[in-house]
Amino acid sequence: MRKLVTAGLIGMCTLAAQGEYVQINMTVFGMDCPPCAYAIRSSMRGIRGVEAVNVDLNTGLVSVKLTTGNNVEMRQFNDAVEKNGFVHQSSDVWVRGTVSGSAQAPFLDVTGTRDRYALAPLASGMDLSRLIGKAVLVEGIVPQSARGKVADVLRYKTVAEAR
Amino acid sequence: MKFLSFWICAIALTAHAADHGPLFSYATPVNAEGELSFDTGVFGRYGSAGTQFSTGSQVGYGVKPHVTVSAFLPAMFGSGKLPESRIISGSEWTAGTSWRFLDSSKSVGRRLESTASLAVVVPGPQSATGVLGELHRAPGVEGTLSVGVASRSHYLWLGGGYTRFAEVSNDRRPDTISWSATYGYRPSKLRRGLNEWDYRGFAELTGEHSGNVVKSGAIVPESSSTTLWLGPSILAIFKEFAIEGGVQGPLFRDVSESVYGRERIRFAINLSYLKYSSHRDSH
Repeated sequence: MRKLVTAGLIGMCTLAAQGEYVQINMTVFGMDCPPCAYAIRSSMRGIRGVEAVNVDLNTGLVSVKLTTGNNVEMRQFNDAVEKNGFVHQSSDVWVRGTVSGSAQAPFLDVTGTRDRYALAPLASGMDLSRLIGKAVLVEGIVPQSARGKVADVLRYKTVAEAR
Repeated sequence: MKFLSFWICAIALTAHAADHGPLFSYATPVNAEGELSFDTGVFGRYGSAGTQFSTGSQVGYGVKPHVTVSAFLPAMFGSGKLPESRIISGSEWTAGTSWRFLDSSKSVGRRLESTASLAVVVPGPQSATGVLGELHRAPGVEGTLSVGVASRSHYLWLGGGYTRFAEVSNDRRPDTISWSATYGYRPSKLRRGLNEWDYRGFAELTGEHSGNVVKSGAIVPESSSTTLWLGPSILAIFKEFAIEGGVQGPLFRDVSESVYGRERIRFAINLSYLKYSSHRDSH
């Protein structure tokens, strides 16, 4: 199922080379009741570029689907959680951007935003040297960050060139 | 129309019965940043010396993720001779701030938190009834502290409060110490999504001790009281709306019947509307 989702998202991102978040699945701690979930959903929906938000109270998972061409930054999602008094954990992300840096120290620039991540493999590493300077779709995990901060590392599962 | 007017003019119960906590007891929830909450309801005290109804409305606003300011505007009906109570507000207007100074979320759906609040209590346009109605009234200060655990299945809150009124014209309302313990449970079949009705039940234990009434510089004999109450309440929430009802009966009463009569039952219904912040921003 996950492979299908990834394949679909890769397909979507071949339309353009602009960087943007495609989907974010964020785990949130502390939501015990529907008003908690409703507050999170309202806050997330208020972010320009968010297409749909689903909150599962029993797993704490907040799934956010974003519109094509958005320029939302990760900080905005963290803020939405923090302002409601909850704690954000790691997030599964599907994000388009451009690989920069070097083969030894690759970065992902989410063009159109100020977000920049050091790319680190979640399990076995990939040779990213051939992708430097190219537009890619990355599926990975943005680790938990302290309140008011955004992690500067993206632990990738897959990196695919966006044509 | 009369029904609508009643609810609009009404103001709720107690400062504690806000949006999604217990009805009679102290609890820790506060508003999210930018969230507005409106509570309105009716609270009753029935006793051998008459019945007292309080209605009122409370407005709360989250100025920070853990700081909420609120105002409570009550109205009172009936002429019951009942002892001072801060668990069930009478005719005093209240405005204050709640600060959730501890908020620990270590797992999905679970929070450990503590909230303190400080409020100013001001006499409203209506007088109290009974012994308290014979006094010159002055403002007071109320402080509360509550701790608790909230989860998808269980809730537990403990809380206490202290209210002290100023003296005016040699009269003074009694200092009041209040405390509460609440256990809540949401059955597994009712742990549903945010687009469905959410229900949970509470068992609420509340207690109060009010000191002596001072009138014309002298203590009114047998005007001190101590009571302990227990009863169930049920909270139902659908999206921005909540309705809660409950009843309590006495477990213990150390009250002079000649001064206050014999209070037999307390009950309340509360309606809430929550206006969430949409968190509009781009960069």
